[in-house]
Amino acid sequence: MAIIQTDKLTKHYVLGRKKFVVGLENVDLEINEGEIFGILGPNGSGKTTCLKLLLGILFPTSGEARIMGRLPDDIEMKQYVGFLPENPYYYDYLNGPELLLFYARLFSIRPDVAKKRIDELLELVELNNARRLTLRHYSKGMLERIGLAASLINDPKILILDEPTTGLDPIGCRDTRNLLIKLKQQGKTILLSSHFLSEVERVCERIAIFHRGHLLATGTLDALNKQYQAENLEDLFVKTIYAFDNQEAVKTGEPK
Amino acid sequence: MKKMWTIAVNTFRESMRKKTLYIILIFALIVIGASKLFSFLTAEEELKMIKDVSFSAIEFFGALIAIFASITAISTEIERRTIYTLLTKPIRRSDFVLGKFFGVSLIIFVNFILTTLFFIGLLLFKKSIPDIEVFKTLLLIFFELILIGGITLALGTFTTDAFNIICSFFLYIVGHLTSYGKEMIERTENIVVAGLADMLYTLVPNYENFNIRDKIVVGISVSWGYVGYTILYGILYTCIVLLIALYFFQKREI
Repeated sequence: MAIIQTDKLTKHYVLGRKKFVVGLENVDLEINEGEIFGILGPNGSGKTTCLKLLLGILFPTSGEARIMGRLPDDIEMKQYVGFLPENPYYYDYLNGPELLLFYARLFSIRPDVAKKRIDELLELVELNNARRLTLRHYSKGMLERIGLAASLINDPKILILDEPTTGLDPIGCRDTRNLLIKLKQQGKTILLSSHFLSEVERVCERIAIFHRGHLLATGTLDALNKQYQAENLEDLFVKTIYAFDNQEAVKTGEPK
Repeated sequence: MKKMWTIAVNTFRESMRKKTLYIILIFALIVIGASKLFSFLTAEEELKMIKDVSFSAIEFFGALIAIFASITAISTEIERRTIYTLLTKPIRRSDFVLGKFFGVSLIIFVNFILTTLFFIGLLLFKKSIPDIEVFKTLLLIFFELILIGGITLALGTFTTDAFNIICSFFLYIVGHLTSYGKEMIERTENIVVAGLADMLYTLVPNYENFNIRDKIVVGISVSWGYVGYTILYGILYTCIVLLIALYFFQKREI
């Protein structure tokens, strides 16, 4: 059953009179409950736009997005969603526990429950030793980890992660990967966007490839490899993108 | 309500880290303290001078703090992208805007209390017990500052910081010159100009309504009716600008 769904989701960024840039064009996506789904694409392909539309940060030009059957502005739905933005920046005068407590309050989590949860999460992302350190002294990797902890503060059913491994070293990447698998085993649905193909290949059960705001392909890696006669994800990625660019070049009459 | 309060407290804490606000506060205290230097005047004149300078300093520097705290309240969250982590939580956009407003109001309140205590301390040092008229003046200044904060915050939901700062200061100056504007409207014979000026007079916040210090300093009493009416005007105007802020922020893409 689809827990996240988009129906002809379209976003045009208006630049002026009759001028716009396509952020997303007629995207139909279905993400099932309990799966890890990866959105792949080069920079500017529409990955973040798609996530922002799902979360109600942007508004669609047409079409709609639903999480748990509810529209993105539904407050009750957001109670069950965790989100990690790309290159997260937080209030740098707070330390880790204070930041997590701030977000816990926004979820109306009881103080005693929040305290326990904060301890667990700091342990989980291995920031227990840095409890007193304010965020301004955090490294990029530590920020990414506290961001991950913040996205889990409400014990979400659905976790939406935008480039979760950016800035992490290989060990950090491995730990995040293991954590995602563990969270999936707990029954959580994870939607992540990334341009790190190897990360996606290792954890995602199904993927979607975006390019210039268009959804080019979606399905399991095996099925897509077979469909596009690709050897691996990298090969599949390149083939789908080149095929789309060629198609567009033919349409517009531009030489490739 | 709790979520709104969480955002308000966070806004307050974040603003308290800004050096600009401390510098303005220190300047306000220096100006109020400097009013004591007019010791060559008679005791009565000196008290008048202390009151006049202090009221003006509390109002002017309070307005500066209200404008600077409000301008950055929303734009900083957008620039630093911390807003993504807030709007994706189960909070309404209205909770966010109102939380920001209450946070800014808290900053205005703390600054107002500090400068007022310093002023009252100065009066007590001069062996003058502040009367009820002094408190009426201060009360109106406080509601004026809240209105200034509300207007600046509302402008911040749909303009850039640079435009907001120009607009807020323009309104601050024009809002204090409304009585002159009213006089000009009465004198002009051109109906179109008079109509336009009258509309402008109605729309622009009349900050001069809150200014009773000239009367109080020379010992003229102001009725509670006038104080109550002006506070009501301030609250209603603030509510209207907050509704405008909510309307624009509801539609804003980030």
